[in-house]
Amino acid sequence: MLAAIAYIIAAWSVAPGFYDGFSPPQPYNFVCPPPQAGANSQPSSGHLNIKIINGSSDPNSGFTDDGQLVIGFLPGAFDVTGKSSVNVTITPVTPCPNPNGLRFVTNTYLITADAPLVKKSNLVMRYSNVSQDPSYIYRAKSLDGPWTRLDVQQQAQLWTTSTQTDQLGYFAAGFPSSAISTASSSNQEILPIIIAVLIVAVLLAGIPLAVLRRRPARAGGRRDAEEDEDE
Amino acid sequence: MLLAYVLLLEWTRALAATIPGAVVPALLLGGAGLVLAAWGWPAERLGLGTSRLGLRLVGGIALAAVLLLPAAARVSAVPILPGALAIAAVVVSIGEEVAFRGALFAALEDIGGAPVAVSGSTLAWTAAHALSHPAEFLPAVAAAGLLLAMWRLVFRDLVGPIVAHAIADTAL
Repeated sequence: MLAAIAYIIAAWSVAPGFYDGFSPPQPYNFVCPPPQAGANSQPSSGHLNIKIINGSSDPNSGFTDDGQLVIGFLPGAFDVTGKSSVNVTITPVTPCPNPNGLRFVTNTYLITADAPLVKKSNLVMRYSNVSQDPSYIYRAKSLDGPWTRLDVQQQAQLWTTSTQTDQLGYFAAGFPSSAISTASSSNQEILPIIIAVLIVAVLLAGIPLAVLRRRPARAGGRRDAEEDEDE
Repeated sequence: MLLAYVLLLEWTRALAATIPGAVVPALLLGGAGLVLAAWGWPAERLGLGTSRLGLRLVGGIALAAVLLLPAAARVSAVPILPGALAIAAVVVSIGEEVAFRGALFAALEDIGGAPVAVSGSTLAWTAAHALSHPAEFLPAVAAAGLLLAMWRLVFRDLVGPIVAHAIADTAL
């Protein structure tokens, strides 16, 4: 019982709890954490300086320090006329935008550069395992919108979504609000049932304990051997 | 020797799983390799006897409920394990239980009795997950290992931990 209590306390400190069998992601750092996120750290920003070699920008990748957003630039991705280098900045946006008709499951990031982007770049965004999977990555030039839907590419890694973009600006992953109403309400209906079933199951744990406790311990020999005799 | 084999296998599996597309094969092969750790051990010494099987299965479900309770109580959007991973997660659950709470537990118990078996298998289990889990998760991993090891000790049973571990892995 003490071990069970110790486990529940330990597992409560990390969302969503015990994970095994496959690698869980690092906890997502939210600007605006949802209630189920548990302990939260603020997300990081990122900065990249791209060199200009032979009149062309070098290939390079910019990322936030916590790895929640990565953007890869091809050789010559920027118009570097009159430039000796290109600076790219990635910043999580505060406060969290809440556009009509959309539900974002990631932070919104502002990606800026001091030179125009002229080639498509690959954008990878990580999302939280406690949120619903995003359907799209959205892009906007202003927080007021409009938000352009970018089709996502096939998922290469768990809990990441990626797309290609030919413009910089504001980026967030999410889905149309209409797509979640059914799912979230059904989850809310199911949740009390799940918890009730779990409580009953926990109580059932006492049955085998009580049955086995009633069996008098036999003197001598290993308990494994006793089991063999039972069989 | 057994400890080194199990740890190397788990760490290799964790590293292999970082390669895109290799997660499922790594879990399947890793799980199978872990089962091999029990080679030569009688089933009863591993806690795999068939007596009171019904109670063991019920106990496993109850144990799974405890493992899932923190997640179930807080989550509003249930994280869904991709289908391809579900079978692999079950395989690796069986492998880990057979290796850690089965063979390693029995070997450590022979060496130093119950305290060494419980603490040793829990430490090894936690160390085995050091590469695959962020540091924040390790206390929960260790606590889960301790809970499963205590079940193994008290009931001389591995069926319950296997059932619980498999349910917890597939549910999350």
